[in-house]
Amino acid sequence: MILNRRSLMTTALTLGAMKAFPGLSFAQARPLVFATFTGSWEEAHKAVLVPAFRKANADAAMVLDPMLSVDQIAKVNAAKANPPIDVMLHDPGPALVAIGQDLVEPYPVEKSAYYKDLIAEAQEPMGPAPFFQVVGLTYNPEAVKTPPTSWADLWKPEFKGRVGITNLNSTLGTGWLVEIAKMRGGSEANIDPAFKALEELKPNLAAVAANPGALATLFQQGQIDISPGNFNAIQILKARGVPVEFVAPKEGAIAFKTTIHIVKNSPNRELAFKLIEAALTPEVQTTLMNPPYLIVPTNSKVTMGGEIARVLAKDTAELKKKFVFQDWKKINEQRSAWIERFNREIKI
Amino acid sequence: MGAAPASRDVTSYGMGLAAPLALFFLLFFVAPLLQLFWLSLHNDTAGLHWGLGQYLHFLTDPFSLSVLGSTLLLGAEVTAVCLVLGFPIAWLYQRVGPRLQTIIILIVLLPLLTSVVVRTFAWIVILGRQGIINATLQSLGIIDTPLKLLYTQFGVVIALAQVQMPLMTLPLITALGRIDPNLDDASCSLGAGSWRTFFRVVLPLSLPGVIAGCTLTYAAAITAFITQSLVGGGQMLFMPMYLYQQASTLQNWPFASAISIIFLLAVLAVVSVFTTLGRLSRGYGGA
Repeated sequence: MILNRRSLMTTALTLGAMKAFPGLSFAQARPLVFATFTGSWEEAHKAVLVPAFRKANADAAMVLDPMLSVDQIAKVNAAKANPPIDVMLHDPGPALVAIGQDLVEPYPVEKSAYYKDLIAEAQEPMGPAPFFQVVGLTYNPEAVKTPPTSWADLWKPEFKGRVGITNLNSTLGTGWLVEIAKMRGGSEANIDPAFKALEELKPNLAAVAANPGALATLFQQGQIDISPGNFNAIQILKARGVPVEFVAPKEGAIAFKTTIHIVKNSPNRELAFKLIEAALTPEVQTTLMNPPYLIVPTNSKVTMGGEIARVLAKDTAELKKKFVFQDWKKINEQRSAWIERFNREIKI
Repeated sequence: MGAAPASRDVTSYGMGLAAPLALFFLLFFVAPLLQLFWLSLHNDTAGLHWGLGQYLHFLTDPFSLSVLGSTLLLGAEVTAVCLVLGFPIAWLYQRVGPRLQTIIILIVLLPLLTSVVVRTFAWIVILGRQGIINATLQSLGIIDTPLKLLYTQFGVVIALAQVQMPLMTLPLITALGRIDPNLDDASCSLGAGSWRTFFRVVLPLSLPGVIAGCTLTYAAAITAFITQSLVGGGQMLFMPMYLYQQASTLQNWPFASAISIIFLLAVLAVVSVFTTLGRLSRGYGGA
């Protein structure tokens, strides 16, 4: 059993600690804990979501505990009966892992005032998606005079030694590879064409970054001029004066659902539900859509504005047309094989 | 512990003093390590089926072995660079006045005072296409197109050598400081040239420092996850990144455990070679 495997020692230590420090056993009355992501996510949630939640819930106590998805899963797994986290935030891959390991509760859809207003793709019964992450093409407008329009542009001879990608450790790298497979006649189930395409991309590759964050550094250093990139991350770079632009390729920008979940056995179930409700409100989503956050909203009642309306979509109808969603269940099944293949084949 | 003061041997050690640290290690190092080992003996990710499958997988897979090999080689390269560059500094330190000594020790210690992340980012700026090296070479007309330095083995070795340099220099300074300067003069007056003196007197006597420095640098270089991934990039796979990928992205904990046990044993083997050399050199130095 998973509980035994991963947490035998942790559990033993916890039990020991509870004997040694009986005060720990009263941890039931702890405040609501929301494990958001680190960096810009934490900033956005601290500034917008937390105040909105507290205002609507009589100043209920809550803490943000930012950490990676995998760490959230490991922590909850280590103490399933009394989890240290009440609300988890996940990319599509880890979300399925968390659901598969029975760590999250179904969202009480019938109680929710906003769930039905979410666009269809965001309505996930095991935890709705309050935000989208969007991946498209990023380029340096000082070096690339004609903006790219398609993923295929990365293969153009003029970008010899100028293209950056990330490896498959990240959601971005994996999602991008799936899009390339689709472009070449493959799919989530048939990744072969993507690896063939990567082979042809090698002369153009300047760098395979270890994570999407490293791509930003490479743009700053002029190491690369064009790469797949995350809309939010690019806007942050742009605001800091780095010459980068984002464009949605004509094949469609890749949209990842960032889903939010109530942790199973949470002692703060009701407050957890209230927090997620707050994240789904048009007010919170509108504020988060505006600068400096520029997070793509999922509530159809939100009127698109600013940079998002200009670059991505003016309304939910256009959004649905321009975004592509991927089958992460299929992706997860084979991801380890892909990573292994990428390790072996991509050497530049 | 309760022995009478009169019969107490003043040269013996009170093991009780080491107990807090020993307990700490037992709880937070030995126990997790055993758990890691236990986990690595399972064939499936759920940890239900016992077996040596993970080890077999690693040891029969040429790709995994090449990752291990390139990691151990990286450590050797970094250690060699640190030794060659660090030895003259340590030697110089013992032969200059106190003011210069302060400056040298400050320069040696300075890297330790900034975080590894900051130092590594500095290397990205230095090695980049528009970085200091490429900009200088281009303005001197030596090269037309920028050299690819970042995301290469060369870049990783250079950056790691700088980051780990204090670990080499400090033991060397101590070891060289213990050598009686009169030995140099004695060697010279007996007719040896300066190179002969260096190879026959200074180097053998400094071997304990060399061994200590090499062990520290080697261990630090092969496990330097941050520098390896930031300067080496995503396509250069070393053991720490391989481990991270299996444990974190793929949640394949048994295989990740097996990788770490194998890595640990490989490093122990290399370190024990160093310490054996160190033991031999002790006999040599005392002779």
